[in-house]
Amino acid sequence: MSADIPSALNVEHLSWSADDNQILSRVSFSQNQGEMLGLIGPNGAGKSSLLRCLYRYITPEQGNVKLFGRNINGFSQKQLATQVAVVQQETPHYFEMTTEQIVAMGLTPHKGLFESDSPSDKQDIADALTKVGLQLKAKQQYEQLSGGEKQRALIARAIVQKPQLLILDEPTNHLDIRYQIQILELVRQLGISVIASIHDLNLASAVCDRLILLNAGKCIAQGLPDEVLTEAIIGDVFGVCCQVSKHPQHGKPLITYFYGYQSGGHSKDDETEASL
Amino acid sequence: MTLAASSMKYKLLIFATALLTLTTPIAASSFGAANISFEQVLGLFTSPFLGADADSTNALTQRIVFELRLPRIALAFIAGAGLALAGSVLQTVTRNPLADPYLFGISSGASFGAVLVLSFFGSQGLVQQWLSESGSHLAEAILRSGWFSHDAWWSWSSLSLPIGAFIGACFSVLLVLSLSGFGRASQVERMLLSGVATSFMFGALTSLVLYFSSPQAAASVLFWSLGSFAKASWQGLVIPAVVVSASILIILAFKRQVIAIQAGDESAHSLGVNVAKLRLYMLVLCSLITAVLVASCGGIGFVGLMIPHTVRLLFPGQQPILITALVGGLFMVWIDVLARCLLANQELPVGIITAAIGSVFFLFVLRHRR
Repeated sequence: MSADIPSALNVEHLSWSADDNQILSRVSFSQNQGEMLGLIGPNGAGKSSLLRCLYRYITPEQGNVKLFGRNINGFSQKQLATQVAVVQQETPHYFEMTTEQIVAMGLTPHKGLFESDSPSDKQDIADALTKVGLQLKAKQQYEQLSGGEKQRALIARAIVQKPQLLILDEPTNHLDIRYQIQILELVRQLGISVIASIHDLNLASAVCDRLILLNAGKCIAQGLPDEVLTEAIIGDVFGVCCQVSKHPQHGKPLITYFYGYQSGGHSKDDETEASL
Repeated sequence: MTLAASSMKYKLLIFATALLTLTTPIAASSFGAANISFEQVLGLFTSPFLGADADSTNALTQRIVFELRLPRIALAFIAGAGLALAGSVLQTVTRNPLADPYLFGISSGASFGAVLVLSFFGSQGLVQQWLSESGSHLAEAILRSGWFSHDAWWSWSSLSLPIGAFIGACFSVLLVLSLSGFGRASQVERMLLSGVATSFMFGALTSLVLYFSSPQAAASVLFWSLGSFAKASWQGLVIPAVVVSASILIILAFKRQVIAIQAGDESAHSLGVNVAKLRLYMLVLCSLITAVLVASCGGIGFVGLMIPHTVRLLFPGQQPILITALVGGLFMVWIDVLARCLLANQELPVGIITAAIGSVFFLFVLRHRR
């Protein structure tokens, strides 16, 4: 990393606890500009909490987060929203809103009081919808879209938000494999810095430049996919037996799991997350 | 093709709403106990422009129309617009499609505040009784100052009622929020039940105050519980008009942020919205609208539920704040006309009619939710 280009993200010694349970302890990592960073780890490892610290939904007890060299606490909430966009997996019920309106929400941090959408805003919305392949569904009710389409609409909203950093919290969880690949490739093509928590290790290996492995709130490993996704680390953290080979297409790690060989390991369920 | 058709339909609906808004004051003025025809009203409205002189029968008609019916129509319009807006904003910021100032307990909190003010400070209230019995110079001076009369919009009785109602409304919002959990606004059923519980509680408190107050005070309070525009006057319009128009401006200013709350608290946060603060401000604004309207025309329920849903059905994919206000106002004016004409020589309290229509509508929404 060159010294004069600040990292997109610099996280130092981040700790956070909820109700006396340490969820994150001294997590540190950095992300280069334009890089796609994958956040992996078992359920309850603290992935969502870590991401929430990055968009300041929760405030860490210790440590700090720098965005392009500047402490995120120095941003106003509106300023931060012009820099960082977030796509979550769950979406609430929207009353009678069209896809276009959901996407237009991305303009919120860029607009003043009483300000309506300009023609160039409308063009941005149309372009974003085209980018995610939903141009024909613009006027359709958001509720009538399929799961994959909804997720793509939310990514279009994030595109309209024009962020420098895009945060995705398990963006592909409920989607079939076609949409999983489609959405992550779409996000890659945007050319901005992306940090995404991903459950599927093979998918993370294929689409991410670098990976961060969290377990029980601690950063266990970080680096290139073949540095993080080793048989020993996966066995230890996830408690499964596997073989790591090279993917025939892109040469990144390809994990094959074996059944009936649960190794115990240190994996934690959602329920035991709290007992640390 | 379908897009052009829906845009055409949208324009047509806006045109129809605007046309109705312009013609409603004249048309609605021709309904009521005194037999005044539409032509007569039209004549009254156009005579200043045509230079026609008013004869003596015309003078009486003129008084009925301009001093009784028009302020009443204006109050109904403002009340309908305000309640529809309050309902629409409540539904959005709590992400609860069944939210309404009435169902949320805001109206009953406001009624309780108003009743407290009436029975303590009203024209037959305890404070005035005490003042007139005490016989001191100061007490007489206060009584003579006209503070207890209903003459001007700035008098004690005009101002204390909305203030009392507002304090009551704020208490009920706080109670509903703390019962349903501040962070869990999306739990529709929980919030609705909290609203109902709050409503019952304030209803019981209101009954308690009524039980101990004078018969005159109790009679004048019945007016609040049923809702009516019968006491409308031009000076009584000042406060509701100012509050409702200011609220429309504030809601228009924060429209984007309010809509963003629909994306969920966390997503709205990531869109740059301070959700907790905005939600609280909007709840206070809705309490203020409701309180001022309860103080001037009593508890009129379900308008805040029915109008936003109807407008969403008519204008899908739009978030038309002004249209919601207009449709709410028009609806209320015509419901009031119905209240005046349904029974011969007798007026129905308008709250009874809205509750009758609204409860059916409520069941409809409940059935079609999800």
